[in-house]
Amino acid sequence: MRRLLIAGIGNVLLGDDGVGPFVIKVLESQYDFAESVELADLGTPGFDLLVHLSGADAVILVDSAKFGGRAGDIRLFRKEEILRIPAVARLDPHSPALRESLSQLELMGTMPGELLLVGIQGSHFEPGSPLSTPVRECVPVIIDAVRRELHRLDTWCEPKASAGIPAVWWDQNFKQREERICACYTSD
Amino acid sequence: MTSRIKIDPISRIEGHLRIDAEVDGGLVSKAWASCTMWRGIENILIGRDPREAWLFAQRFCGVCTTVHALASVRAVEDALELPIPPNAQYIRNLILIHHALHDHIVHFYHLSALDWIDVMQIPKADPVKTASLAQSLSSWTRNSPQEFKSAQDKVKALAASGQLGIFANGYWGHPAMHLSPEVNLLGFTHYLQALEFQRKSNQVVAILGGKTPHIQNLTVGGVANAIDLDSLGTLTMDRLTMIRSLIDEVIPFVHDVYFPDVCAIAGMYPEWFDVGGGARNYLAVPDLPNESGFDLPGGVIFSGDLSAAKKFETAADPDFRRAVTEDSTRAWYKGGALHPWKGKTRPEYTDFQDNGKYTWVKAPRYDGRPMEVGPLANVLVGYAQGHPLTRKWTDEAIARVSAVAKRKATVDKLESTMGRYAARAIRSAMLADLAVKHCELLTNNILNGDVATHNPPQFPKGEVEGVGTHEAPRGTLSHWVVVRDGKLANYQAVVPTTWNASPRDSQGQVGPYEAALLRNPVADPERPLELLRTVHSFDPCMACACHTFDTDGREIAQVKVL
Repeated sequence: MRRLLIAGIGNVLLGDDGVGPFVIKVLESQYDFAESVELADLGTPGFDLLVHLSGADAVILVDSAKFGGRAGDIRLFRKEEILRIPAVARLDPHSPALRESLSQLELMGTMPGELLLVGIQGSHFEPGSPLSTPVRECVPVIIDAVRRELHRLDTWCEPKASAGIPAVWWDQNFKQREERICACYTSD
Repeated sequence: MTSRIKIDPISRIEGHLRIDAEVDGGLVSKAWASCTMWRGIENILIGRDPREAWLFAQRFCGVCTTVHALASVRAVEDALELPIPPNAQYIRNLILIHHALHDHIVHFYHLSALDWIDVMQIPKADPVKTASLAQSLSSWTRNSPQEFKSAQDKVKALAASGQLGIFANGYWGHPAMHLSPEVNLLGFTHYLQALEFQRKSNQVVAILGGKTPHIQNLTVGGVANAIDLDSLGTLTMDRLTMIRSLIDEVIPFVHDVYFPDVCAIAGMYPEWFDVGGGARNYLAVPDLPNESGFDLPGGVIFSGDLSAAKKFETAADPDFRRAVTEDSTRAWYKGGALHPWKGKTRPEYTDFQDNGKYTWVKAPRYDGRPMEVGPLANVLVGYAQGHPLTRKWTDEAIARVSAVAKRKATVDKLESTMGRYAARAIRSAMLADLAVKHCELLTNNILNGDVATHNPPQFPKGEVEGVGTHEAPRGTLSHWVVVRDGKLANYQAVVPTTWNASPRDSQGQVGPYEAALLRNPVADPERPLELLRTVHSFDPCMACACHTFDTDGREIAQVKVL
């Protein structure tokens, strides 16, 4: 059976860096997926990305990104484009990340067939802060990008009959603030 | 001529290790270790429920998730004087062992082997000669000429394509690289195989912890795993058998590949046993609790004097509780030296000042002294106490290194850059033995009818203090909590890399990285491979990385002539 992975990357304790895991929680609570689709919050994994990406048929990553846009801007990167970025040298286990992990997978011969990175330009990374307003407001656009990619990959995801509240356990104020606007995550 | 080298891979949007070194006559004369981002992440925990602190602590660092989760629950249990059932202890131990094995394998092969192995020499190797060399080192079944040929073909294809990918910025052809093409091929082939085995080790963590990278089975008072040998969805005999078969696959990789590879490569670079000795004070906490004590011993050694080593009898020895302080004199914080329970995190940023403040890392001290932590400390503390398992693998490593180097190695030579690599391999060999032991302890305890995994916590009125320790892959980790009326009133994590990457203190004493870099040779300041070798020997992890994907690749080293 095909294996499709949708993974959020980032540190949930550092403001906009947590947008990837946040989107995973929204997707889990609002959508049903084909059986071959796996959702994961991978945190900030360095080379441990290899363990999760290795041998997948297709991967969609959601991560905060720095590409010179404004907060909340979204840019899509395909694996070929990521591989053209120069690899960085290693000083500690955090240094290797996505770009270096992809090269490694290529070398091992276990590179995912398809890989899309949905990159979101962030602006606030203070410990303990929630997502900034522009980043929170772009979540429906991110979800739309993920759904289009799933469609392109010939699989599906549909809004749940009864959607729950995303389990954003790291944000104490999330529940009251977000309940009102959860509906917008599933509107087409 | 003096030149100044700054190694600062600013590859993420904030926060990394930066190393500055002054080089005079080809040797480092002064060094500074700096972390470039303030996190203050512990402040998030103040006011929260101590029972959920571990969920947050697990997110302090993306590479060392499990270790922070564990230190956090142990800190709260210590404050409450809450014992945990034997099953919980063994399940936690199995998670710790396999996280550490995974981490050590990745450190050697994927994060640092290419400081020693010259990938560009591999096309010249003879796979048949490589196989006979490999077979002389161990009985590993995947040391055939075909296996080496296939790895060599990958490198040839990369070299032919002109797209070196992951190898694009290695220091190939550097004068400090001098392995034969065959040894380079041997190491690289095992680098490829290592992925499979670090993954199997991680699978044990996932089976017991529910998920990786963030385990879900901890709770203050034990673990949340339900044990019922007859019921699906709990820890059943099937799962225990699955864990045992993974262990049986990982052990040969550690004992027959990783350990012999490190010993052989170390023996071929014997000059690196004379470089990189650090603070020469060592700290390790006891870990892997068993029925009667600990399977990893702890204690302290000062000035490299093994004969005067002090042993810790408990996970948080009274001396350890008393002796630890963090000094902010040379770090970008207000205040002097404070005990972690009184610790404060009040930033005071200046520029990078060679003779003033220059880092976001505080300077941890033990009775006022800088301490090295990590596998080397772990091994020396055990060796000094005559701990049988430590002696067994240390003596084996010394014999292997001596045979390859054709000169007698001794235990004091471990206080060096190469000694840290050897110590990590020794520790891994010990952990592989202990994986079997703790799997059997757990299985037998369950078969004897004990299914308890959790003791419920009760929070008293008023204030209690606790410290949770763990001998993590990078060394002694401690979380310090103050609980007032059931809420967290203070939280400080003193992490291994803080001990090792410590800056100078109020007495001007340098930290372990800074001490280890002194008198390091540097053949070519534009390509400071030797400095990377010594820094990598500590396995640095700043635990403060903010992993934003960055579209710019940058140069690692900047050199300026003073």
